[in-house]
Amino acid sequence: MLDAQALANLAQLDPTGASKLLSRVLTAYRGSLARLLPQLVAARAPVDLGTLKLVTHTLKSSSASIGAVDLSALCGAAELALREDRLDGLPLILDDLLIEAARVDAAVLQLLSTR
Amino acid sequence: MSLPHDFDASDAAVRSKVLLVDDDEVTLLLTAEALRERGFELVEAASGEQLLAMLDDWTPDIVVLDAMMPGLDGFATCQALRALAGFEYMPVLMLTGLDDEASINRAYQVGATDFLVKSTQWSLLAGRLRNLLRSSRTRLELERSKSKLARAQDLARMGSFDWRNAGGPAAAASGRSGASFGAASGASLVLAPEALRVFGLGPQEVVTLRRLVRMVPMPERRGMTRLLAEVQTQSTVLAIDVPVEMPDGRQRIVHIEAEPEFNEHGHPVGYTGIVQDVTDRRVAEDRIRHLANFDALTGLPNRRQLIWRTERALDHARRLGHQAAMLLIDLDRFKVINDTLGHAAGDELLIEVARRLRGCVRHSDQVMDAALETAGVRSHRSLEAVGRLGGDEFIALLPEVADEADAERVSQRILECMREPVWVCGQECFVTASVGISMYPVDGQSVADLMRNADVAMYSVKNTGRNNSAVYSPMLAGRGREKLELESALHKAIERNELVLHYQPKIDVRSARMVGAEALMRWQRGDTLVPPNDFIPLAEETGLIVPLSEWALREAARQAKIWSVNFGFADSIAVNLPNRMFERSDLVETIHQAVSAFGVPHRAIQLEITESGLMKDLQNVIPSLHRLTEIGVEISIDDFGTGYSSLAYLTTLPISELKIDRSFVRDLGITPQSSAVVTAIIALARSLGLRVIAEGVENLRQMEVLHRLGCTVMQGFLFSKAIPPDKLEEWLQLTVLPRKEPWLVQAGADRPDLVLTTGGRQT
Repeated sequence: MLDAQALANLAQLDPTGASKLLSRVLTAYRGSLARLLPQLVAARAPVDLGTLKLVTHTLKSSSASIGAVDLSALCGAAELALREDRLDGLPLILDDLLIEAARVDAAVLQLLSTR
Repeated sequence: MSLPHDFDASDAAVRSKVLLVDDDEVTLLLTAEALRERGFELVEAASGEQLLAMLDDWTPDIVVLDAMMPGLDGFATCQALRALAGFEYMPVLMLTGLDDEASINRAYQVGATDFLVKSTQWSLLAGRLRNLLRSSRTRLELERSKSKLARAQDLARMGSFDWRNAGGPAAAASGRSGASFGAASGASLVLAPEALRVFGLGPQEVVTLRRLVRMVPMPERRGMTRLLAEVQTQSTVLAIDVPVEMPDGRQRIVHIEAEPEFNEHGHPVGYTGIVQDVTDRRVAEDRIRHLANFDALTGLPNRRQLIWRTERALDHARRLGHQAAMLLIDLDRFKVINDTLGHAAGDELLIEVARRLRGCVRHSDQVMDAALETAGVRSHRSLEAVGRLGGDEFIALLPEVADEADAERVSQRILECMREPVWVCGQECFVTASVGISMYPVDGQSVADLMRNADVAMYSVKNTGRNNSAVYSPMLAGRGREKLELESALHKAIERNELVLHYQPKIDVRSARMVGAEALMRWQRGDTLVPPNDFIPLAEETGLIVPLSEWALREAARQAKIWSVNFGFADSIAVNLPNRMFERSDLVETIHQAVSAFGVPHRAIQLEITESGLMKDLQNVIPSLHRLTEIGVEISIDDFGTGYSSLAYLTTLPISELKIDRSFVRDLGITPQSSAVVTAIIALARSLGLRVIAEGVENLRQMEVLHRLGCTVMQGFLFSKAIPPDKLEEWLQLTVLPRKEPWLVQAGADRPDLVLTTGGRQT
């Protein structure tokens, strides 16, 4: 669900944990999901390409940052389909994306509660 | 050039301020943390709008922008940022997940400095930021240095330019705005704004090479164009000063200096250099040159400048085979004006004379070497001038004349322009000049020769009455040299005992006795006896007459003593003195010493002064005459009847004797007028109680007439010419005593009772 190496890289940015970086980042990430996912759902019908592009683009990089590799890849696929105007396969990708996002959110919550 | 910062070392020490803009909170947090970790100071903004608001009162060192953001995206933000004053060169790094070419191009189009694909490899980002910051600082330093240079150039009225040959890359002079234009040849010239200002042009002004060239006035323009072409063909260094007329009409002098540039193959590709306004320097230089070459009083060329011009003129004359003339102009009696009216008046006069002289020739004030070379074969005409040698001496240089007559015409013009009276210190003065002319090549090949010979010619004018001109001739020089030799020999004549006195007896024909003698000076120069007329005028002119006269007085006193011992001479010896001797306050003392030295009485010396000499300076001479008479020295007036004696003065003057001039005596018995004059003089002398003596008596007829008219004392060849003192004694012994001569027979005839003797000779 969350790539261990990516999380280790994050932890290295705050080796002593003094600034509680990991917690802040994970909390921020959950905030982003809470803000962006409803936008994504709303932009599917009626279709709002601009919002779809922006949300998938943003989620792609922030998910990669916390090691949510699968979610990041799904965002990338959606972004590419949007950029290349391949809208046929898009609903399927977005469905997968939303399911994966819910799992990542749960994992992050789990991670936060254990720290 | 050493820079104020060592960038590599200071990257860590000085924390650069990074403004990070991203709408994604996670990326913002992580990127900020990663960069802080690497030594940067971070400020975060969540949107483009927030960033622009922050820049109102704060300036980061670098901006890192996310490309894709809601609202103002990265591209629009960058564009807006660039439009803000002071952010034109702010380094902006665009971060995006999009690595497509269109986005990259767009980033650069909106003014991003660099572009980086987002990743979690923070070191890559940090490294890129450092690079951007370093080049930004370098750029800043360069800008500062450039603006310093621009300011320095501006102060020095200087500016850079670049000139590229046709076909070469058109280079910008400085990277800043400047006028760039292609010349007709296809070459290009770029002037920095400072360079444009040197030509009086605005930084935005559109100029062409042709326009710049046309700002140079005509005679110089041709020379400059030629030089430019020459320099370009040979790829040599260009350094030239050209006069330029600014658009506002001001005249300036611009110095252009440029070095050729070569490409990697060694082919010349153009020139790079500077233009500078050097007017002030040139004005100062010109002033110095003027002071060194021109007379401060009259503003005319001075001696140095005249010599320089004459040398040039002679070079030309030699090359072109024509004649040149030099006129030496000396004012007559300038000293009198200086002495009587003062130096200020003298200066005023010189200024006016200079002004008039200038009008007599085609006077050119300025001569430039370059002008001489470019103005062609007639260029030496510009050398023509009047200059002041010093004092009251001027020179007119005529670089080309057809013949002597040409030069004489100019000298006549000069004499003519002097005729008008000159007003100095509110007084009307008349001034004349003596002009000596020497001609190249006949009168001299060099400046020195021409000057000397013009001088000789000028002096010949002075000697023949002044206010005239004369062309040099070798005859004049011969006379001049002779005179010079004579003068120096005369100086030595006294100490070498070459001067002698000869004596002519004065005879009283009634008694057939010698009643005195006149001492006449001779100069025994080697084997020749120089007659007085050949050296007395020169002695008078040079002032040598004073020591000569003093010597004559002593010598006469000595002779009086010898004669008194040898044959009881108790009369007086007459010595001729010029009137200037009578002006000397020590004359009485001089005579006193002379007679005392030889133990003879004062009356042993009689003084003769010519009538004209006496009358010329009567007021100054009278006191001396009184004192001399008081001590017993008698005064005789020589050449009487030839001057214009004031009869009123004659009655009061302390004189003892009138000497009838030889010209009247010569004509006695031939013209009735002469005997009338002689009769009148004798009557006058008798009524004033003066003795009268006739000189130049050469025959018995003259003697008889004089005697009949009442003049009995005479001297002349009839009796004896002037002879050495020992001969005179001999003459007395052999001629007078034996009464052999017819005049003695005649003289004694009417008075047979009188013993004809030599006086009171005691045996």
